Amino acid sequence: MHELSGPWLVALLLGSLLLVAGSAWPCRTWGRRWWALGMGGALLAVCVPLLRDALAAGGAALADPADPMRAMGRAPLLQVDVLSAILLPFSLLIFLATVGLTPRAALARPTVRRQSVGLVLLLLALSTRDPVVWTISWAGSIGVLLLELRGLAGGRPLRIAAAYLLPSVVALAVGLGLLAHSPRDSVGHAAGIVLVALAVMIRKGIFPLHSWVPEVFEHGRLSAVSSFCAPQLGAWVAVAVLVPEGSRSVLAVVAGLSILTAVYGALATLSQVSARRALGWLFVSQSALVLAGIQSDAINGLAGGLSVWLSSGLAFSGLALALTLLEARRGALRLDRLNGGYERMPLLAATFLTLGLACVGFPGTFGFVAQELLVSGVTEQFPHVGFLVVVASALTAIAVLRMYFSLFCGPDPGRLPLRLGRRELFFLVALAALTVSTGLAPGPLVSSRTAAAAELLKVRAAERAPASAPRDRPATASSR
Amino acid sequence: MSGEGPMIALVWAGLFCPAALVAVLFAVTATGRRLPESVVGALTGLAMASAALLFGLALTLRLLDPSTPVLLDFGDWFSAGDGAFSVRLLADEMSLAFAVGTSLTCGVVSAFSRRYLHKEPGYHRYFTLFAVFATGTLMVVLAGTVEVLFAGWELLGLSSALLVGFFHERSAPLDNAMRVFAVYRISDAAMLSAAVLAHHFLGRGGLMASVVDPGGGGLAGLSPAAATAIAGLLVVAAAGKCAQLPLSGWLPRAMEGPTPSSAVYYGALSVHAGAYLLLRASPVLEQAPLVRGLLVAMGAFSALYATLVGRVQTDIKSALAFASLTQVSLILVEIGLGWYRLAVLHIAGHACLRLLQFLRAPSVLHDHHLAESAFGGHFAPSGSHLERLVPAGARSWLYRFALERAYVDAGIERVVVGPVLRGAAWLDACEHRLCDRVAGRAARSGSDEPRGNGDA
Repeated sequence: MHELSGPWLVALLLGSLLLVAGSAWPCRTWGRRWWALGMGGALLAVCVPLLRDALAAGGAALADPADPMRAMGRAPLLQVDVLSAILLPFSLLIFLATVGLTPRAALARPTVRRQSVGLVLLLLALSTRDPVVWTISWAGSIGVLLLELRGLAGGRPLRIAAAYLLPSVVALAVGLGLLAHSPRDSVGHAAGIVLVALAVMIRKGIFPLHSWVPEVFEHGRLSAVSSFCAPQLGAWVAVAVLVPEGSRSVLAVVAGLSILTAVYGALATLSQVSARRALGWLFVSQSALVLAGIQSDAINGLAGGLSVWLSSGLAFSGLALALTLLEARRGALRLDRLNGGYERMPLLAATFLTLGLACVGFPGTFGFVAQELLVSGVTEQFPHVGFLVVVASALTAIAVLRMYFSLFCGPDPGRLPLRLGRRELFFLVALAALTVSTGLAPGPLVSSRTAAAAELLKVRAAERAPASAPRDRPATASSR
Repeated sequence: MSGEGPMIALVWAGLFCPAALVAVLFAVTATGRRLPESVVGALTGLAMASAALLFGLALTLRLLDPSTPVLLDFGDWFSAGDGAFSVRLLADEMSLAFAVGTSLTCGVVSAFSRRYLHKEPGYHRYFTLFAVFATGTLMVVLAGTVEVLFAGWELLGLSSALLVGFFHERSAPLDNAMRVFAVYRISDAAMLSAAVLAHHFLGRGGLMASVVDPGGGGLAGLSPAAATAIAGLLVVAAAGKCAQLPLSGWLPRAMEGPTPSSAVYYGALSVHAGAYLLLRASPVLEQAPLVRGLLVAMGAFSALYATLVGRVQTDIKSALAFASLTQVSLILVEIGLGWYRLAVLHIAGHACLRLLQFLRAPSVLHDHHLAESAFGGHFAPSGSHLERLVPAGARSWLYRFALERAYVDAGIERVVVGPVLRGAAWLDACEHRLCDRVAGRAARSGSDEPRGNGDA
């Protein structure tokens, strides 16, 4: 295996551990915030050479020269490739936006520490192909979410989330174990794929295992819930395990359910009264589109799915955080009335609309680029249900505009001052600008996703080669 | 070829003018500041005038040098395998003439808007959306690929909906804006589906290649079923934009927006976008006689509907909206019958007349009094020929029928929208019951009031 030009992965993980340690230090809220932002920015800088190395390597996986397992004479634990390299800064951007935009009252010491722990677990999962580490990260991030939900709404969101997410840990652990120890085309291998698929479907909120998502959005801390959902760890496991090793029938079933979930989520978003619950359903719809694209056999569809993952993840985070800012000033918000106040927060309104439209793929945003690729790929492969992607996109756009009108338009409430602070302005505008700039100049991102898609399809084709043909079995999730 | 370089530069620069205006106005919004009204108005006028001049020069170049390539290729914006977004613009006589007309119309309306919206709190917002509209319309007019057409189509629709909801302190404009947007999204979905099908059956750029060279054989391999499907979806897309039955309910509702935007959208430009789309897609349309027949029928019924309903309107803008719908429907009939040149002339004449009427709408009573003063008395009432044609017993029924707009909106609410929303609400209730069971409670905890836990 080739190596990175420096110990970037180890630096990233050690830096994130330092972030956790520092966030536990007793200090004022602004100190905690700026510590987290500063460390997050530094970690983002570490991603630059890492990204450069991964893109230069084409599709090859790169190990870290300082990998501790190598010092023990074993196979490297940490690795990065063109697929995961972009997901590391993507996760950091979500973390930075979350910390930057969470209102002061919600940024208690345990919250920052838990967010930091969640970041460590996510970066660890993205930096490896080891199923044990994945399982630990999966379980740990769920544990962080459950801790965030403790004591809210009489324990309802905690019970519901636990009822869905804890079995996903078991399913993932057993599934990955079966895949690691069962020969291909055996019953154990097939069972392992089904269990991993179930775990992914629970995590990503795919019908019929989706009900926990709107509940935790409605009753949980929005910043914590969105930082758990937006990176879409389930999508990572899907591309690393299901795509190369899943049978066509399993992938077709997952894709079909995902497309139906996208439409179902979009319809549900339209009928919501609670802004938070509407956001939850919007996530269900967008998350399903990602999974539908990932199951595609066509390079443009797969690249589209990988691109929707990035665009919807960032845009959705921004949308959720914008709603957090609104709620901090206005309290809980209903969509069956006009909440008003546009004239006093035009920038928040404009960025909310921009991020919402990026979620649904409007021209001028990276979401448009991603959706174009996704729609063309998915409809080629699944022509009868593929057009439902178009329907889902249309419905979610109507839902986003409805949310925008309800949340910002109407008579001026004339109560509290609504102006944003400089920090809030900076992060909101930066998120919107990132979405628009990558939409206007999508070449580098699309090229990286296309290269990742090509590599995934190559691995899949090699895995599906006839058993009689001599096979140089590439490294996949279960064998790396 | 000698003329290609200058043509590319002129067309690109012309399209860049409104796009740059959008970027400038958005950038100013991002800083949280507002430019003075005079600066915004001047920038808009400058952008539109520049675009009109540049497209005029391009049209002159095309007329002087017919060998200049019609399809201008700017390369791939992005690509992934078979999926690619090529940026190609069409620079034939029709598209350049429409581009000049669009720029001039936008320039006239922006000059009107500077005065009409003076001191209006949403002045900056209006011109930002206006610039988005101008960019989108030019993209539709000049599109050399279905993807560019679709991008412009969506920008047009979004800016239209946001301008209908311009007076957003009141609920009625926002409700109407949602309805307009919902119909536009149906149109967008049909447009995107047509683009996907065209890509599948005709390959990359196949649809626009048939526009550029209808006899070039690009459609030779297209089966009747495929042609019917593509043409049918394009007609649905056009029907949404042109407010054809049964998607006509949004047009009078769109009159909630400021008068200048009503003029440019529903008098001059946006309402003709569907007709323009079908004109460009006429080679495909000619391969689908069934769709052409349906187009003629749809246009004819819509024209009859609009002329009836328009006669019972009591405000000038609604009356003009239905008059506009009548003419647009007739244009679609002309396209369905293959009378393309007549349709182009009809579009040009109708756009100019309706733009003038809309811009004069706020002064219609004043104009009427001036005209009667000059005439020396009241004008004779018109429409009495209809009273001779329609039996007395049917007149009141017809009046009620027209007043209720043929019950189309009510029908769609009852048959489509209502059941869908009730179904969604029922499913949400099922979700709540399921979560109640999972959470171990007999009923949902707390009140129905949405809670903002932890972050507020």
